[in-house]
Amino acid sequence: MLYRRRKLDLPRGELDTPVLFPVRNIGKRSSDNTPTYVGTIPEFSAAMINARSIRNRDPMWQRISNGVTLREEMDVPEDTIVFADSGGFDFANEEVDTTPAKTLDTQSQLDADILGTVDIPLSRENRAAENQRRIDQSIEYALKASDHHDGVGLLFASVHGYDPETIRNNIQYLEKNGEFDGYALGSMVPIRTDYKKITKLILSARNATDKHLHVYGLGGLVYQPLLLYLGVDSFDSSAFIRSAGNRNYLIPGFGGEEIRNIEELDRLPCPCPVCGQKELDEIREDRTALTQHNLWALATELRRFRYVAESGRDIEEYLDLRFSGNEVTKRAYETAKQQMRRLT
Amino acid sequence: MSDAFTITDEQQDYSQYDLEANPFPYSPVPAEDPEIYCGQQHVSDKISSTVSSMLSTGKSKHLVVTGKYGNGKSHTLKYTRSLLRGRDDVVVGYVAQPGEGFLDIYHEFVYDLGFNRLQELAYEFLASVARDVTDTNPIGASGMESLIDEGDVLLSEIVPESIRRLSDVTKFADFARAIIHMVYEDTNLYAWQWLTAEGIRYEQRKEMEIHSALDDDTMGVRAFTALKNMLLELGYTGIFVFVDEFESIARLSPKDEQATLNSIRHLMDQNSSGLCMLFGCAPEVWQDVMSEYHAFSERIGEEVALKPLTSENLYELVRDYLDQERVSSTENEGIDPFSEEALDLILQTSQGNIRQVLSMCSRILDDAAKSQENKITVAWAEGKI
Repeated sequence: MLYRRRKLDLPRGELDTPVLFPVRNIGKRSSDNTPTYVGTIPEFSAAMINARSIRNRDPMWQRISNGVTLREEMDVPEDTIVFADSGGFDFANEEVDTTPAKTLDTQSQLDADILGTVDIPLSRENRAAENQRRIDQSIEYALKASDHHDGVGLLFASVHGYDPETIRNNIQYLEKNGEFDGYALGSMVPIRTDYKKITKLILSARNATDKHLHVYGLGGLVYQPLLLYLGVDSFDSSAFIRSAGNRNYLIPGFGGEEIRNIEELDRLPCPCPVCGQKELDEIREDRTALTQHNLWALATELRRFRYVAESGRDIEEYLDLRFSGNEVTKRAYETAKQQMRRLT
Repeated sequence: MSDAFTITDEQQDYSQYDLEANPFPYSPVPAEDPEIYCGQQHVSDKISSTVSSMLSTGKSKHLVVTGKYGNGKSHTLKYTRSLLRGRDDVVVGYVAQPGEGFLDIYHEFVYDLGFNRLQELAYEFLASVARDVTDTNPIGASGMESLIDEGDVLLSEIVPESIRRLSDVTKFADFARAIIHMVYEDTNLYAWQWLTAEGIRYEQRKEMEIHSALDDDTMGVRAFTALKNMLLELGYTGIFVFVDEFESIARLSPKDEQATLNSIRHLMDQNSSGLCMLFGCAPEVWQDVMSEYHAFSERIGEEVALKPLTSENLYELVRDYLDQERVSSTENEGIDPFSEEALDLILQTSQGNIRQVLSMCSRILDDAAKSQENKITVAWAEGKI
């Protein structure tokens, strides 16, 4: 088992890992519609933001340039830890309209604690040569970012690849040729249903470096325990917002349930501050409440895993149970377990 | 409990003959890497000349070795293979029999090379590209592998260029992709299956961007030629192919036989350099091929026939085998405990067939040891043959 606990030394203090960075949609819309969670859910004092979106939203960028802080824009305390990625996910379909230096400048103006390097995501639909070009380009961007980084905030190199050799090779190459505080695996979302592939890629990254390892975009309920088991230090997720938008109620240990399937219930099964007080009807009518509950669900999943680990219980036994309800994720976990046993 | 059988792992004692063990095989089949080759000077001269011509000039040359069953065709081919395997400038593959057509010959050849060797060749090709496009200077396959593992070169920098160059060299882009995929642990088994013509599913091909199936003789010839061209590009002198039991093509239908011979002919035509094929074939089948398929037989041109052993050949053979197990360091103990007359009798009985000779020697030596005979005389041997 590769699960580990560490501390990240950040400009705003220490951050205990493993940790989830809830994705904020600030910059994607005129205002951030993520409900309050900092200060409400204790372990979620951090956020993942898209530096490019904020920079490209003129009025907001004007305000930030004129002295308004990002945290004021987000309506969160000033000590909220921010991981600013480059917005590379958008480059799947758009031309790269930034440079490593410009992105670093943006991240710096946003006072980000963790800075993700500019990257261009891969897709299985691309020709292999095109994906190789994108991998190459992301490495070049990362090295340029390393050259320009002034040392304020941690710099995570974004790494892409759809095979273990490429992941290992990229991390080793970056380790030799640049200075990074950690690595962030990208391009995972398009292949998220290929659990076997994902676990292989994560394991190859975990074995290639002892530094902080972040996985972009896979912090949902199902993936979270798998990532923890594989030794991932941090992850991010927007599943709580997207699920709420689809009236999907996340239940730790089970996954998501469409509310229309359980309409007859008065009370929901979760004892979180949202569900503990409100009836189903109220939650159904209140998208913010549903979003907040979904975040609590992610927090509960994380807490459970930590509890199992700290209390000395057998994590594999817990995960056997956790994944027993779904054949696909069960097979994925079994594969991960086998891969892990070959390592140890 | 029945006591009809007496089964023991106790070893026979051969010390009275100054031997550690019985050196003759109980089942006289050729060893994978034979150490002994004796007699048949005309055969070794002809093979040496054929092989040496290819090595010295790079021009393709082929030879058929004929001989009756048990006269040593397989042994001759395998012995030649073991000599060539030691060289690092050639690639050698043994095909036990031609199967149903050229695709089977190709399959067996690549299988004989093995997964690891093919993977090494892939790394060697990457190394040749890395030397050109990076500042590194990888030596051989392992040097390249460690440069990738250590992150001294970027895979994404050298792989597209390697595929491009290998496609140019081989004129077969799918082959190039399959070779390069031998270095990826996720796909190397699929690549290996494709390269050995075992067939893979469409989805597996798609993952490697391989568009064609390697499933007929024409594709087999194309893949073989591509492999040879890759090797020449890497600085190898060429490929040696040993096709044994060639007489089994006579079991094919006339149409399939003709197709197989045509494919081999095309292979020879497409590879005027860097290819040496040695065939082992029963003489009667080779006679038929000579008379019926000129286009093929003329391209081989040369034939050498294995002859039955002479008594001198036999003495030399027995001495060489016995020397392998002699206890005392002094060699040239000769043919003891066999007498010349006993060996002459064995030769006569076997009609010079080496397989039968070895079988008889093995059995008679065991019997002599059990009976604690000091010498294997003709009189004693007579009763045992």
